[in-house]
Amino acid sequence: MDDTPPPAGRRTFLKLASALAISTASGCRFETRVPAASGATGSDRRSDFDRTLLDAVGTAVLPAELGDVGVAAAVGAFVAWADGYDPVAEEMHGYGYSDIRYLPADPAPAWRAQLAALDLLARRALRAPFVQLSIDQRRVLIATVVTGAEGDRLPAPIDATHVALALLSHWASSPDAWDLALNAKVQTGTCRVLGDASTTPVPITGRRA
Amino acid sequence: MKTIDSDIVIIGSGITAALMAASLVENTKRSVTVIEAGRPTTPLTERTKARARFMAYGESPWKQDHLDDQNAYGTTWGFSPSMNVGGLAMHWGGVSPRYSPEDFRLTSLYGVGDDWPFSYEELDPFYQEAEERMGVAGEQGPVALDPRGKPYPLPPLPVNFNLAQLQAFATQAGVATWSTPSAKLSVARDGRSQCQRCDTCYPVCPSGAKYTPDFTWDALVRDGKVTLVTETLVRRLVADPKTGAIVRATGNRTDATGEEVTINATTFVLAAGFAWSPHLLLLSRDAAHPDGLANRSGLVGKYLAGHRNVNAYLNLPLELYPGINVQHSLVSKQFMRVPRSGRYLRHDLRLWESSVGREPRLRDDAGKPLFGDALLHDWRTRAKGATARIRAYYDVIPDRESTLTLHRAKVNRFGDPMPTMSFRDAPESAALKPWQEEQIAALFRKMAKAGNGTVLKIENSVNDLGQEHPTGGCRMGDDPIQSVVDRWGRAHDHENLWVAGAPTQPSASCCNGTLTFVANGLRTASAIARA
Repeated sequence: MDDTPPPAGRRTFLKLASALAISTASGCRFETRVPAASGATGSDRRSDFDRTLLDAVGTAVLPAELGDVGVAAAVGAFVAWADGYDPVAEEMHGYGYSDIRYLPADPAPAWRAQLAALDLLARRALRAPFVQLSIDQRRVLIATVVTGAEGDRLPAPIDATHVALALLSHWASSPDAWDLALNAKVQTGTCRVLGDASTTPVPITGRRA
Repeated sequence: MKTIDSDIVIIGSGITAALMAASLVENTKRSVTVIEAGRPTTPLTERTKARARFMAYGESPWKQDHLDDQNAYGTTWGFSPSMNVGGLAMHWGGVSPRYSPEDFRLTSLYGVGDDWPFSYEELDPFYQEAEERMGVAGEQGPVALDPRGKPYPLPPLPVNFNLAQLQAFATQAGVATWSTPSAKLSVARDGRSQCQRCDTCYPVCPSGAKYTPDFTWDALVRDGKVTLVTETLVRRLVADPKTGAIVRATGNRTDATGEEVTINATTFVLAAGFAWSPHLLLLSRDAAHPDGLANRSGLVGKYLAGHRNVNAYLNLPLELYPGINVQHSLVSKQFMRVPRSGRYLRHDLRLWESSVGREPRLRDDAGKPLFGDALLHDWRTRAKGATARIRAYYDVIPDRESTLTLHRAKVNRFGDPMPTMSFRDAPESAALKPWQEEQIAALFRKMAKAGNGTVLKIENSVNDLGQEHPTGGCRMGDDPIQSVVDRWGRAHDHENLWVAGAPTQPSASCCNGTLTFVANGLRTASAIARA
């Protein structure tokens, strides 16, 4: 075993393995970001989000620097990820615990309800549909509903208590997001040519994630 | 009832078993049959998809790689319930350091623990064989720190952009480091790809660059050199009460039929790892062997060994790019090769790039949620600089009562009690633990200072969970009263019974153990071939 992962609970493990997993535990190997859109499908489920509302959340929580196309792509990747989720699939079991664990139930129904609730809140508090609010107004509303999220770390998407955080953390876990933050073409978590590892990563100034 | 006949039967299909089988078929003309309780593993062609789902969702790439009713209890850190073709090594990390010569002479050199019945030099050719069969990429460190008889079979994985800076830092701090030897191909070989830096060595390599035992099994089965029997759980070894020779193994299919199975052979090789090997010997008790087979010494299931670690994150005035090759590292044996001093401490040292402290965050310092460009701006600020992860495994001298026993309540579908483990330090090791951990922490602080950096945090292994890279349970030795198997892995009490790999080791050193488990197994295979 190289570098044994910690005796992690499911939530911790998923933080390590399926999102912007940065290990803080001794012996853990997962210090990687993961692709936001795996392209894989586990089942033929449909998350059935209200895409107009979800797009409006996306424009509020994702960087404007991505541009309209980038934001739409990030929202689309999140939807594809949610569509491909396979409830109670077997989790990776490694070193540190011997019990077999399973992924949680489908988060999409709760996330759909949260989208609807954001719109209701907008109509009651600001007398306008959520999609008609300014970006700043949307952020204020979203901030009020994510106040219960613990800590200052973005949760793994599957552990996010609100769809806005799930969407944001899903984007932030992508290799392109990390490249944008590092201003360099690293493409973490992506299979790449071994020989290129020794060179200084190429700056990406001017590119869009 | 199903009956299987073979000259040699190997129980277990993990990494030690696979490479022993490869050696045996080259060096004997006897038939070899391998018995595996689990199912076939996820084939290489499906691992790209399996990796994608692991990355996206945390799903196991190794579906149903265990038996629901076959598990271990107690302090199981270091244990995995994986039970399929290839065993636990289907999801190992591929890190392949050798032990150091001192590991074989702990009593002679340091007055602690036990000497092994043979030397590092005697194991060297089997280390080399293991490295060549798996395809280990490595570079020899300074000869005084990293002795070996021949060069590594493959050039090292590159010291990448991040590691080159960390290597300069370590040198400045007085620590010699080099590319960690890994069973990952630095050049394509045998139909396997060169490493692609996918950084999911653990738990799944999609390219085949990392060695996994299924590659060996696939080739041996394809060529008709071994018979691999899956979904068959060996539940008992049956010994002749007069001669002690093992006459057969018995068990059941683990599929829905549960069919009874009898395996007749002339040579029995127990290669089921540190948990299931002593477990089967204990289960196989009979009137002539009321404490289990091979247990005249009373040491079956005793002296479970392993190591713990101290892990730290350092903030350094460098500019690293997290994610270039997260799972590759630098290694040092500088602190494994130490002279005898007042108090005993030996440890390895590994150094990685890290992104701890450089991730995006949900809130700013005032607690206000960060969204959009504000989040990205904050992230960019945090992403600058460098975090290094540094870790040292330090060895733990096992107590005799560091044990695996039969659980009183937990049984499988056949009514067999499951193993329960209780790791325990020898008294001298327990007494040294606080001092040892502080010494390592002090080294990390000193290194950070030498690099004009700071320590973000230092963590010790959590107590009482078990130990890492575990070994023992069937320890080897020349004295039948003090050991279960002889220096070649043959049971003192049963001429045709051999135990292979991890369970035979008197100690577990202070580095990753798989290569040594395999080297020991290959040494045992050479003795079986001669026998």
